[in-house]
Amino acid sequence: MNENIPLLSIRNLSTHFFVEEGVVKAVEDVSFDVAEGKTLAVVGESGCGKSVTALSVMGLVPESAGRVVDGQILFRGDDLLKKTESQMRRIRGNEIAMIFQEPMTSLNPVFTIGNQIVEAVKLHQGIKGEHAWSHAVEMLRKVGIADPARRVREYPHQMSGGMRQRVMIAMALCCWPSLLIADEPTTALDVTIQAQILELLRELQKQQNMSVMMITHDLGVAAENADDVAVVYASNIVETASVAAIFEEPLHPYTQGLLRSMPRLGQKMERLESIGGSVPNPLHFPQGCKFHPRCPIGVSDQRCRTQQPQLREVAPGRCAACFHAKGYGD
Amino acid sequence: MNEDNINSFQRSSLWHDAFRRLRRRKFAMVCFWIVAGYFALAVFVYIAESIDPTMSAINWKEQLGQGMEYQRPSLCSVKTIFGTNFLGQSTLISTLYGVKTALAVAFAASVISIMIGVPLGAAAGYFGGVVDDIVVWIYSTLSNIPWIILVMAFAVVLNDDKIMGGKLSGEPGVYLAIGLTSWVGICRLIRGEIIKRKESEYVLAAKAVGCSNSRIIFRHLLPNVFHIIIINFSLRFVSFIHMEVIISFLGLGDANKPSWGKMISAASSELTRGIWWEMTAATMAIFVLSLALNIFGDALRDCLDPKLRMER
Repeated sequence: MNENIPLLSIRNLSTHFFVEEGVVKAVEDVSFDVAEGKTLAVVGESGCGKSVTALSVMGLVPESAGRVVDGQILFRGDDLLKKTESQMRRIRGNEIAMIFQEPMTSLNPVFTIGNQIVEAVKLHQGIKGEHAWSHAVEMLRKVGIADPARRVREYPHQMSGGMRQRVMIAMALCCWPSLLIADEPTTALDVTIQAQILELLRELQKQQNMSVMMITHDLGVAAENADDVAVVYASNIVETASVAAIFEEPLHPYTQGLLRSMPRLGQKMERLESIGGSVPNPLHFPQGCKFHPRCPIGVSDQRCRTQQPQLREVAPGRCAACFHAKGYGD
Repeated sequence: MNEDNINSFQRSSLWHDAFRRLRRRKFAMVCFWIVAGYFALAVFVYIAESIDPTMSAINWKEQLGQGMEYQRPSLCSVKTIFGTNFLGQSTLISTLYGVKTALAVAFAASVISIMIGVPLGAAAGYFGGVVDDIVVWIYSTLSNIPWIILVMAFAVVLNDDKIMGGKLSGEPGVYLAIGLTSWVGICRLIRGEIIKRKESEYVLAAKAVGCSNSRIIFRHLLPNVFHIIIINFSLRFVSFIHMEVIISFLGLGDANKPSWGKMISAASSELTRGIWWEMTAATMAIFVLSLALNIFGDALRDCLDPKLRMER
């Protein structure tokens, strides 16, 4: 495999929703790469377009209103947007798998978990009967479920949230995908289970040399698990960098604000800092830089109010979309 | 936790739970056995008829009196504990034979209406758009015509000898007429349920695994609404039995087989003469079966509906 081509490369992706009130630009001109065997964390507030990006990659944007209007999604150099539905079906669950936020509702209540785990194997690899079943048991053991031979015959309602998320991971990984999209995999779980699940994901990623695109609003999760971080604000990427760089020296005011609003150990504070204002309505984004009404610099800067800064390389391996970022130039 | 507890925990599935709860309802179980008795009788008549139609246990044509002219029906004689009709035929055997007619028609009609309504409703609900528009248009048109009139029109047309060489006249005509006109309710129900469920996360998860649309409908969505189909089946069964009675009462059924509708029709003219047993036998048979089916269907709904599952 060519070392230079990233496994997944998204170029200028725009996904819009056409609703009665107008056009919701859920994802606009988004570009990023996920390298082979690495983890990219996509960080942002809720409603900023993280999940829609993930669904666009899977080709699962809700057909009723949404559409990918522009861009390319290159998976191993092939544009996924040009593939037919049946070609996409062969990729989904096989080469690109996804786990969801809500383990309580993502499993079909009327089937045993074994049935659901083997579905992907049956669909994609033609393994049947006993072999598929023993594969399901093997996968359950891999994700750390005790007594898998018995558990595989149980129904989702007999399991706890953490166990169900483990089952979801087993489902997603049973075809050894090369890319796993994890859409807020730990948001619905409590903190101790969160740590276990993330640990499990890391371990399995190492075993299988799999790339992970992890969508989260939790900077702590990103810091612990990711190699690279892409920060999303109001449908745009505002900053990408390695995880160390972003925590050491955030360049975009939004990233700086996010980091400041995190509680720090050993620091006495009455209240946590927050970013003033709220996320703009995706139907009516502000003119110029979308962050300028909330930005300490941009709110009084003429250029920020009228022009939208493009994402640009500001230092080797890191990009930012802010006129005032160090190294942005003009 | 002892061994027993672990085992019961292990085996608790939706169906297992439902049947355990159902068994606890004594009255519903009595009704279940009554319905089962009716079915056993129907199967017995069906088998006996195919072996030897002149077997005396099912030979309703056998005349128990003398002569061919009109005879005053009698209530009790040595051979007829349940009385005879004006042709001297046994009311008991006619009533029992009517069980088979009613159940066969209701069963076939239920199967036909579910086979039409469920796939149409599922497709309309899942795909939406033009498919939905067409299906909704068809069923709203159909449901605007009074049901009895529609069924009768179908029954009359299907009874015609010119259609399929008369193969559809009689019993097939009746159940086809009922089945082809009564899928609207289940279609609407399934459409709504599928619309409710198609945006759920497990459907998205199934798509993410690479399932095709038909696989999602048949393997993921329909099993989730299966209890609704079963409940609907048990409840519509009753109305189909009534419909069969109405159609044969109006003389559109099979002329050569006894049925409760025909018995009521014949007995209604005799009733003024104080001959009550034929009417009573047919109506009681209908009443007991309908009541048992309704009570059992209600209990089944309570036990199968996942929203009521918390109930002990």
